[in-house]
This record gives sequence, C-alpha cells and structure tokens, in this order.
Amino acid sequence: MMELFLTVFSAAFFVTVIRTTTPLLLATLGGLIADLGGALNVALEGMMLIGCLTAVIVSVYAPWYVAVAAGLGAGALLGLIMAFFAFRLKADIILVGFAINIFAAGGTVFALALATGGDKGTSINLPSKAIPAVDLSVLSNIPVVGPTLTAFLSGHSVLSWFAAFLVFAVWYFLYRTPWGLWLRGVGEYPAAPEAAGIPVNKIRTWSLVVSGALAGLGGAQLAMFNYVGFTREMTAGRGFIALGAVLLGARHPVGALLAALLFGAFEALAVVMPGLFNEIPAEIIRMIPFVVTIAALVLFSVRAQRALAMRGAK
Amino acid sequence: MALLEAIGIGKTYPGGVVANDGVNLVIEPGEVHAVVGENGAGKSTLMKILFGIEQPNAGRLLLDGREVHFANPREAIDAGIGMVFQHFSLVPTFSVYENVVLGSEPRNGIRLDRQRAIAEVQELSERFRLKVDPLPPVRALPVGQQQRVEILKALYRNARILILDEPTAVLAPQEVQELFVAIRSLVAQGKTVIFIAHKLPEVLEISNTITVMRQGKTVGQVKTSEVTEKSLAAMMVGREVSLRVERKQTDQSECVASVEGLRVVNARGTEVVAGLDLNVHAGEIVGLVGVEGNGQAETLEAIAGLRSIAEGTITIANENAASLSVLERRGLGLASIPEDRIAEGLATGSSVAENLVATRLNDRRYVRNGLLDLKAIKAHATKLIEQFSIRVGGPSYAVGTLSGGNMQKVVVARELCEQPKLLLVNQPTRGVDLGATQFIWRTITDARDKGAAVLLSSADLSELLALSDRLVVLYRGKIVAAFVNTPDLTPETLGTYMLGLSTQTADEMKAALK
Ligand SMILES: Nc1ncnc2c1ncn2[C@@H]1O[C@H](COP(=O)(O)OP(=O)(O)OP(=O)(O)O)[C@@H](O)[C@H]1O
Ligand SMILES: [Mg+2]
Repeated sequence: MMELFLTVFSAAFFVTVIRTTTPLLLATLGGLIADLGGALNVALEGMMLIGCLTAVIVSVYAPWYVAVAAGLGAGALLGLIMAFFAFRLKADIILVGFAINIFAAGGTVFALALATGGDKGTSINLPSKAIPAVDLSVLSNIPVVGPTLTAFLSGHSVLSWFAAFLVFAVWYFLYRTPWGLWLRGVGEYPAAPEAAGIPVNKIRTWSLVVSGALAGLGGAQLAMFNYVGFTREMTAGRGFIALGAVLLGARHPVGALLAALLFGAFEALAVVMPGLFNEIPAEIIRMIPFVVTIAALVLFSVRAQRALAMRGAK
Repeated sequence: MALLEAIGIGKTYPGGVVANDGVNLVIEPGEVHAVVGENGAGKSTLMKILFGIEQPNAGRLLLDGREVHFANPREAIDAGIGMVFQHFSLVPTFSVYENVVLGSEPRNGIRLDRQRAIAEVQELSERFRLKVDPLPPVRALPVGQQQRVEILKALYRNARILILDEPTAVLAPQEVQELFVAIRSLVAQGKTVIFIAHKLPEVLEISNTITVMRQGKTVGQVKTSEVTEKSLAAMMVGREVSLRVERKQTDQSECVASVEGLRVVNARGTEVVAGLDLNVHAGEIVGLVGVEGNGQAETLEAIAGLRSIAEGTITIANENAASLSVLERRGLGLASIPEDRIAEGLATGSSVAENLVATRLNDRRYVRNGLLDLKAIKAHATKLIEQFSIRVGGPSYAVGTLSGGNMQKVVVARELCEQPKLLLVNQPTRGVDLGATQFIWRTITDARDKGAAVLLSSADLSELLALSDRLVVLYRGKIVAAFVNTPDLTPETLGTYMLGLSTQTADEMKAALK
C-alpha cells in the first residue's frame, strides 16, 4: 500500500496522468462542442481510431506535425461525413455515429494490413514518428523550486500543452463570443436561432467537424506519444469514456477537464498498479477506468435527477 | 402606396393540405392591421410566408412597391420584417439580452460586447414602453414578459413591420392592456403592426384595418370603424354565431368531488394553494376565478393527480383519492382538459388516432392481449373526427400538423367522448376560434347537463361567466369570494376580489359554497 502511495504522489505519476489524460481531454472537448450544439457525437471512438491510424501512417513519410495535422484532418472529415448523413440526408445521428464506429474498427485493420503489407495487428514494422515532448529542464536553474518544477512540467507532449490551452479557448469561444452563443442556442432550443436567421444546420455541421477534428487530434496523441505506433482497436473505448466525461463535467469545458483528469488518473493507476500488485490480475486493473466511468455516470445522473426534483418537475 | 402587399399567395403543404389559396393582403404604413379567421384558415401560414419561413407555391410579395422574395427569415429580417410566433422562440437559459441580440450581436473584436448589448436592450425597452430587466434568464420570466422580449428582438433588428401571431392568447387581461399600450407606442413611432387574434373585442380595440380569412382564402378587407363584432363574426364563420349557451336544469344534490384543507407547495417552496375547501356537485360547473398564478392551475393539477399535495384530502366519487395514481383517478370517472395542450395534452409527433386512444390503453375495445386493435382505433378516431368536426386530413396525420384550435378539439374529443363523472378544465378555448369556442362550450355544457361535475378555470372572464353555475374567486391560494352565477354578476365585481382589493366574509360566501 505504501508503495502505491509513494507512486501516486510522485512527479513521474503526475506526468503519466497528463499523458493518459490528454487524448481523453481532446476527445471530451470534441464531445462537448457537438453535444452543446445538440448533435450527440457517438462516433468519437471511431474518429479517434481513424485519427490514430492516419497519424501513424502519415508520420512514416512526413514530419510529426504534418502527421498530427493529418490525424486532425481525418477526424474533421469524418465529422463532415457524419453531418452530411445526419442533416442533409436526415439519417438518425446515433445510427450514423455507430456506422462510423463500425467502419473505423474494420477499416483501420484493413488499411493497416495494406500499409504494412499484411500485418493485421500492429504497425510495429512501420517506422512511425512520435510527437516531441517539451523539454523544460531550463527551469531547474530557478533556485529552490527549480528541480521540482522541472520534474512536473518537463516531458509533456506538445499536444498536452495545446489541450490545456484549448480548455481555455473553448471556454472563451462558448461563453464570450457570438458564435458560442449561437452554438449553445442551437443545442438548447433550435427554433430560437432559426427564427433569428441563424443557419442551424450549418452550425451543427461545424460543431461536428470541430468535434471530429478534436477526436482525431486525440487519436494522434494516443498513437504518436502515449504509444508510438498503431495497434488494432487501440482507442479501447476512450471515445465512449469521453462522452461520459462530457456529462460528468456538467457540459462545461472546465468540468470536462476535471472529468478527463479523473479518468486519466485511473487509467494511469491501471498503468502503474500491475508492477506493484502482482497478485491482482492485470485484466482486473485495466477494468478500473471503465468501472469508474459507470460509477461516475450513475452518481451523476442520480444527482441530476435529485436536482431536477428539487426544481419541481412535478 | 401600400407598404407590404401579398398578391394571390398560394401554399400547399407537403401532404396536400391547401393552407393558402389566392390570398391577398394589403398593409398600409403606420397601421395596425388585424388578420382574423377560424383555426386552420391559414393565417399563420401567410405570416410565415411574409417572414420567409415558408415558400409560397404561387403569388407575389411587394415591399414598398418592389417585388421581393424571402428565401429564409434572415432575408425578411434584413428587409425590416419582424415576427413574434404563436409559440415563442426564446432560448430558456439565455438571459433576456442574449436572446434579444442572438444572431445580430454587437461585437468587440471576436468578443460579444456584453455592455453594449445590455445598454441597447435597455434603451429599446424604454423607448417602446416594453419594460423588462435585461439580465435574468428568460425561463424565469412570466409569459407576458417573454413576449416583450420577443418584440424587443424584432425591434433590435430594426423591424419596420412587426407581425404578432396571436399575441394575446397567452396573456392575462391586464397584460393584454399593457401590450396594447406598447403597440400604440410602436405605431406612434412609425412602426406597422400585423396582429392576429381570435377575440374580436381585442381586434376591434387595437386595429385600424381587418382582413378576414376563411379556409385558405381572403374573404375581404374592412375598416375597423365600419364593422361590429357581430358582422365581423358572420364574415369569419360564414354564418351568424352567438356565444350564448343554454343550460338545462340539473339535479345538483350529489357531491362528486371535494377537497378539504388542500395545501400545495411548489418547487420553490412557496405555498400556492393555502387551505382550500371546495365541493363540486353533479350537474354543475364551478368556475375558478383569479388572476393567473393564484392557485387555480395547481388546484386542478392536484385533483387530477399531476401534482403532489402538502396537506389536505381529495375525495372523488366517495373515494379518498389523495394517494391514487392518475390512472386510478381516471378509473373513478375523472377527465381532464389541461392548460397546455402541446406540453400536457397531446403527443404532437403521434397521430390523431393514437392521441385519441392514449387514455384508454387498458380498454378491451382497443387493446387485446397486449396488442393494439388498429382497426378499432382507426374507427374510433374516424368517428370522433366527424363528431367533433376536427379539421385534419385523416386519423393517421400527426397531431403536430394541426392548427391550434383543432389540436384542442382532439383533446376535448378524447376527454369527452365518454361521459365523465368529474371534469377538470383549464383554459379550454385559448387560441381557439369563435366557431370552435362555441362548440367546446357546448360540449362542456352537455357533459354538465348529463350529470358531470365540472371544475373550470380560465383567464377569460366572459368564458367563466358564460359557463359557470357557481364562481369561486381565488387570491393567493385562498378563496376570497364565492358567487352563484346570475346575470347581474359583472367582471368588475369579480375584478375587485381577483386583485385582492376586498374579501367576502365567511357568511357572505356560505350561500355559494354549498
Ligand atoms: N407544417 C405543416 N404541415 C402540414 N400542414 C400544415 C402545416 N402547418 C399548417 N398546416 C395546415 O395548414 C392549415 C392552415 O394552418 P395555419 O396554421 O396557417 O392556420 P391558422 O389560421 O394560423 O390557425 P390557428 O388560428 O389555429 O392558429 C391547417 O389545416 C393546418 O393543419
Ligand atoms: Mg395560427
């Protein structure tokens, strides 16, 4: 137990948490934007997965930032496709989302086999690149706190810093700009923006494109930093956890950050625990993030129902 | 020259409903132009065409003499047309100022300029006498103020022509007067108002010109000064209508429902019904009088089982009903026509036939062995559509496509196709046209004549006076006066009690509180 304690309060564990949180946070922000616009994006999982593979394959031939941009672009394109089916062809958005997830699960394996010349499990034979970590060891020159600062702040992915900035940017967009107002209006009561001459479906389409882009970006982080390379179904439900995190975070960007951190922390625990407790099967430990997701959502909805009852839904 | 002119407008909805058929409308600058007609006459459709929401299949629009086409509301807004819908289009959690500026926000870089938005809303609200606080979320405001927000929204977009689709249907009488003050101030400042309403006295009071529509066609345009309520009604319906109902002598000895010491506390913890004692007898209509929000709606909901009570007893047909479910109460012979037909009375996405059997799903005529008998359900619906003259393409049409009055008829048909013992009615004719009002009044009175005990609440005093045997005035959740309905009883008398200006003594009330 002591060892677990020491591990959890170490700088290394903090760095792990940030690493596990980043893809989740990006996907959660994506889920948040779509959800606030009233277009529930259940395809985050598939978009992330395709983002992973696209980033990995492109990174073989291009610099890391081009690969990251490609992951993002793949997600955005999927968002656009989803919007086309849901809003132009009026298909049910949940079904379209699941179609994308299923397509992603199978399609990535197929594309992987093509790219690797037959390997259907991993991209281990591809010389894919990683996203660089930001080295802040200069901070250790600061007296007293320098070494600690370095230990905590150095070594994060570029995208982790970007994701932290995005939390602020998304908040600013949602609550300070006219377009944020439009998006929230479209999600809450579309008849109002419609009557005000705001193109509702265009806004929703954009929200899905951005949502997909963020999920794709999360995928790039996952396959180019957390792991380097692609493994089939490597997102392992993160897209769905992100959907849960949107709700758990009370549909607010800061809440999304906290919820993503919570899930990230449990995932990090699942990473470090097998080394500490070899009597517990690793499979059980890997279940932790999912069990926590379910528990958190149940708690959340109990609380929400109670709040609703308080407000007097008769 | 006319400001806005619609010539030969035709509109057929997908599904084949002809809503407008060669409609003409001429709006002069600076007038209040009323458009009247029965439910389903096509008034809202015409307005949606003027505002670019619906596209006409035929006809032309002229604005300032030049032909215009509005492909969407944005283009109509840019041309100076504003519209307040029958059902408001406000985002509930947004503040008043956010709702007003939505879509045309003042900006400061990429930022919404909050200060300027608030200041502009305040300035408009003062200039046009539409008092409203810019900061609270609109869902916290009463309907009357929400409507002002809608009007401000149009004015903020520099509307020259303001279309108000049944603005008074949701307002209490005092609020109607406030709205009229605002409309007069708008016209005084050069705006033009198109106004739709079903209550002819309102139309006669506020308008300069009236266009009458019937079954998708314009019947004519008249100067308000040249018509009377009677001639206008005849023009609208195509026959003479009288809004008087004859009531039979009934035996009113059996007490069907009674509440004792009823207290209801709402979600905010305020007591909305404060110790109410009331009996309703077979064969009588008891009218609940009061300014909206004085406990009438809550009383009805408590009796129907839709709202939990804090204290007191409710007896229906000699059974203690306080702990019974809605369905069990219905089993005792309760029927209820709720205030808000869209939110509480109907499933708008479902068909007319489905809505008509929705309260009878354990009736063996329509459901057997857990399966719906679609044939019987359809036959039932066809019969009721005929009997209640509901204007709809057929039993399988979604209720949401019906006009307001016809939706209400669906509710009335469902609740009254079998004789109830106790009937609860709240705002039965809100947004309902003259002909349908007459019909609904007749139907409620028939139920009474056949022995139903009826509890009626309405914002329309003339309705309460026309239908009730006894009237009970509620103020802050308490009975402050009770009357046996006689021709001498006037709205003015009721008014002083409604506003809490005076209270009857227990003795005075006794005679009318049997
Ligand atoms: N979206 C729609 N699809 C199909 N039919 C429609 C639609 N909207 C309206 N209708 C039909 O068109 C006709 C005219 O409706 P409209 O709403 O214009 O009437 P209205 O005069 O405004 O009536 P009310 O006084 O009840 O508001 C009605 O028969 C209605 O059922
Ligand atoms: Mg209408």
